[in-house]
Amino acid sequence: MTFAEKSLWATVATVSAVFLTYFAAALPVRNGTDVGPVRVVWFVLAVVALAVTQGVAHAVLAVLDRRTDTDERGRLIELRGVRNGAYVLATAVFTALCAAIVTEGNAIFVHVLLAGWVAAQLVESGSQLVLYRRPV
Amino acid sequence: MGKRGGGLTNRVRELRDSAGLTQQQLADAVGVTRQTVIAIERNRYSPSLEVAFRVALALGSPIGDVFAYSAEQR
Repeated sequence: MTFAEKSLWATVATVSAVFLTYFAAALPVRNGTDVGPVRVVWFVLAVVALAVTQGVAHAVLAVLDRRTDTDERGRLIELRGVRNGAYVLATAVFTALCAAIVTEGNAIFVHVLLAGWVAAQLVESGSQLVLYRRPV
Repeated sequence: MGKRGGGLTNRVRELRDSAGLTQQQLADAVGVTRQTVIAIERNRYSPSLEVAFRVALALGSPIGDVFAYSAEQR
């Protein structure tokens, strides 16, 4: 397994762990409510936790695996993964806009958008992991 | 042959074995990862023209001896 694949697994694991924890704490959100200070603090903590866990994970991987270089196949797979993630993110933005129209307050809109971003990250990394094992 | 490999076939593994090179040594000589060499050998990835030339150069063979294209296989 290349450094790039290990890095992708680390991204999937950290994003999943951090935001599953966040959503477990923050959900459900009720219609007609706004994002309060408590949820803002949880969100900031989630972002900090994501940055720290990803930084530590990638530092450990870089120490264990000296070959961190990529090549044309890796770049092609990355581009396809980013494209797949962009489709999900665009869908999420449209869904969030619909949620903003049909709901009151900003809590549902914000959390649909955040969930869409998390899904886009997971699709981007997950599809790259699949592409590394299939003909490109 | 992989479905996405099209009509491109190669003798990379055969020539690499003849040259006594490991996959990692060939990868280092070409400037790609070992996984890309594996994918090329298994016809799961069609390299760019530049990488194809570098593979041929590393194996000491003309590119036509290393890679072949058959329109019938597409």
